[in-house]
Amino acid sequence: MRAFRRERGMLVAELNADERAAVAAVVADVAQLLGAGRLEDRGATGRPGDDDMPGGLPTAEHLAGLSLRIDDIQAPDDAAVRRLLPDASRHEPAVSAEFRRLTEDDLRQVKTARLTALWDALTTRPADGWPAGALVVRPDAGADLAATITDLRLVLADRLGLDDDEASEALYADLERGLPDDDGGDDGDDGAQPDQPADVRRYLGSIYAALSWLQESLIDVLLDELDRPR
Amino acid sequence: MTLQTAPEGLAAAEQSTSTVDAWVTIVWNDPVNLMSYVSYVFRSYFGHPPEKAEILMRQVHEQGRAVVSTGNRERMEVDVQAMHSFGLWATLQRSGD
Repeated sequence: MRAFRRERGMLVAELNADERAAVAAVVADVAQLLGAGRLEDRGATGRPGDDDMPGGLPTAEHLAGLSLRIDDIQAPDDAAVRRLLPDASRHEPAVSAEFRRLTEDDLRQVKTARLTALWDALTTRPADGWPAGALVVRPDAGADLAATITDLRLVLADRLGLDDDEASEALYADLERGLPDDDGGDDGDDGAQPDQPADVRRYLGSIYAALSWLQESLIDVLLDELDRPR
Repeated sequence: MTLQTAPEGLAAAEQSTSTVDAWVTIVWNDPVNLMSYVSYVFRSYFGHPPEKAEILMRQVHEQGRAVVSTGNRERMEVDVQAMHSFGLWATLQRSGD
């Protein structure tokens, strides 16, 4: 994996095939959590809704954009989804319910569209002139990518039990010294998720750490972009 | 000749209506978001200069929360939605609650 940098007017990082597959799997999982179905099942034609509309029946996606929310939406059950779509008030359920009714469909669509764009970038060959492993992003799409990486990290953090700064530091300490191999019975002393096998924690943890590092490099470039004279 | 009086009553009324519906957007600390990202969001979305974005980010990180915007409820709902879109944990509440 190579960090983001500005190259020929674009924001460019490099990920090898294994890294692409690992990140794409998380992208697909998060999209599914948000109700988008499986991205890999969309077929080769790209975004749903771009084609076969004339004469065909509208899909759920077409209809979602037209929905008029009258009923309240329940807060999501999954803690990770609740973190992606959090309550807007800590103490007033009516304020949270009103906010969810007004914004949740939009937020799901925005997040899903951004995940789909990253999925496409990870699973298609970059344009001619770029190395095969290049992840090439237009500067005006950089903020969306940074936000999507945040969503991926939020879900991974939930699965890894990173509830506070200490848990987060403990994960990095574990990754640094190498987690003990999963010996099948003694998984309980290495983190916040007592029943999580060590190899799962190591795998998810390494993706989390890699995405954190990649995001930090992207933000460095985006901050430079903000400072560029227009 | 008539005496022109200053429209104190009107000015006072305007001021009081503008504070009746005062809400705030609060961003809360979380263990996931990078400090640089939080600063970036405050700069890019609110248009804060780097120094102000840094102060607000530090406040979130060290005190657990910061008020990032003030206005009527509808305006705060827009800001909270934007923060949630960025993946920051934000809430709205009446000013002074």
